[in-house]
Amino acid sequence: MSGCPGSRTIDFSEKENQEGNETGSRPSQLRQWPIQLHLVSPLAPYFQGKDVLLSADCVAYALGDFHKDYLKGKSLAIACPKLDSEQEIYIEKIKSLIDDAKINTLTILIMQVPCCFGLVQVAKEGAEKASRKIPVKQIVVGLEGNILSEEWI
Amino acid sequence: MKNALNKEIKDIIQDYPEVGRILEEYGIGCSPCSVGSCLLKDIVGIHNLDPQQEAILMYRIEKAIYPDRDVPEPKVDLTKKQAPKQISYSPPVKKLVDEHGLIKRLLALIPHIVEYIENSVNVDKELVLQCVDFIRAYADKYHHMKEEDILFKYVDNNAEIIQIMYKDHDTGRNHVRQVIEGAEKGNKAQIREHLLAYRELLMQHIKKEDEILYPWIDRQLSVTQVGEMFKQCTEADASVGDELPKKYERFIIELEEKFLQEVA
Repeated sequence: MSGCPGSRTIDFSEKENQEGNETGSRPSQLRQWPIQLHLVSPLAPYFQGKDVLLSADCVAYALGDFHKDYLKGKSLAIACPKLDSEQEIYIEKIKSLIDDAKINTLTILIMQVPCCFGLVQVAKEGAEKASRKIPVKQIVVGLEGNILSEEWI
Repeated sequence: MKNALNKEIKDIIQDYPEVGRILEEYGIGCSPCSVGSCLLKDIVGIHNLDPQQEAILMYRIEKAIYPDRDVPEPKVDLTKKQAPKQISYSPPVKKLVDEHGLIKRLLALIPHIVEYIENSVNVDKELVLQCVDFIRAYADKYHHMKEEDILFKYVDNNAEIIQIMYKDHDTGRNHVRQVIEGAEKGNKAQIREHLLAYRELLMQHIKKEDEILYPWIDRQLSVTQVGEMFKQCTEADASVGDELPKKYERFIIELEEKFLQEVA
């Protein structure tokens, strides 16, 4: 069990209680395209005055009820702080979302692995550069899809 | 038990004083409350106890009210003992908590101010009116108005706990009017009585807000509402300008230099 926690091999396929409630279909709560932070424009109409979810790429796969509990009612941008390049552009986009799109709140959803906290840092830098101030929330998701912490930062 | 849950707490404590003592053990101070019109069910819900604590509390209350009833004792899993809860506020609510900090600094100075007035030959009317100005402009207008015009609008305005907060605000304003009258007449006893009463009222009021009311409101707010409230509070602050809170912080620092250094 050594090496980078973000890429360490862990198998929890034998985990119990994986059935959940499978009744009914789950409609997508996505209301926009594109979603990748390099591709979205802060000037897009779906960001104006909205609550924005900035999610690390892996979160949607780990969090069983991502659409129902976290995406619903929010506009989305996704990014990977470990693998994405030119992240200074991300900082400017966060700043523009706050100042130009005048978003209402920013919720950052990240995995528990250390590299994911880089996305929080990017968001904080963007928020600090912005002239408007908005509430920013950080939610940390465990590798098995549990919520480890949820706090306003 | 359903009937008891829907009764006002002052009536329950009057009929069953043991309930007041039990609540006190859980940090729920209903016995000394002057109003006591909250319903028992609201009191338990509002304090956000962990489920095990709440189950034991309800069991003890039920036994106190119905001693002959066969009430099953809740099973407690000691391995699931929770760490003490740390209160985490949303940004707009945190701002209101921070504003309490400056108000509490004045409250801490009031006994020194009262002593100074009593020991002076003539009432220092200017000092009293400066304190009144802080209370009216900072505590009441700048701070309480954000509570009344913004924060309380996000919950049921008729909830007993909100009504108690309004009543506290009104009682505080009455004390301030009495302090002014005392200053105008040079009546030291009147100033003393109402400044100390204001201090006691506000200390309890702020404690209730920081520890119970604000966390209760925060738990009900959606992310969208937190954003809206933050915007409204920011606009309310901008309408009075940056200088107002700075001016009153300078005033408190000057008072602390005058009174706390003399004590030291």
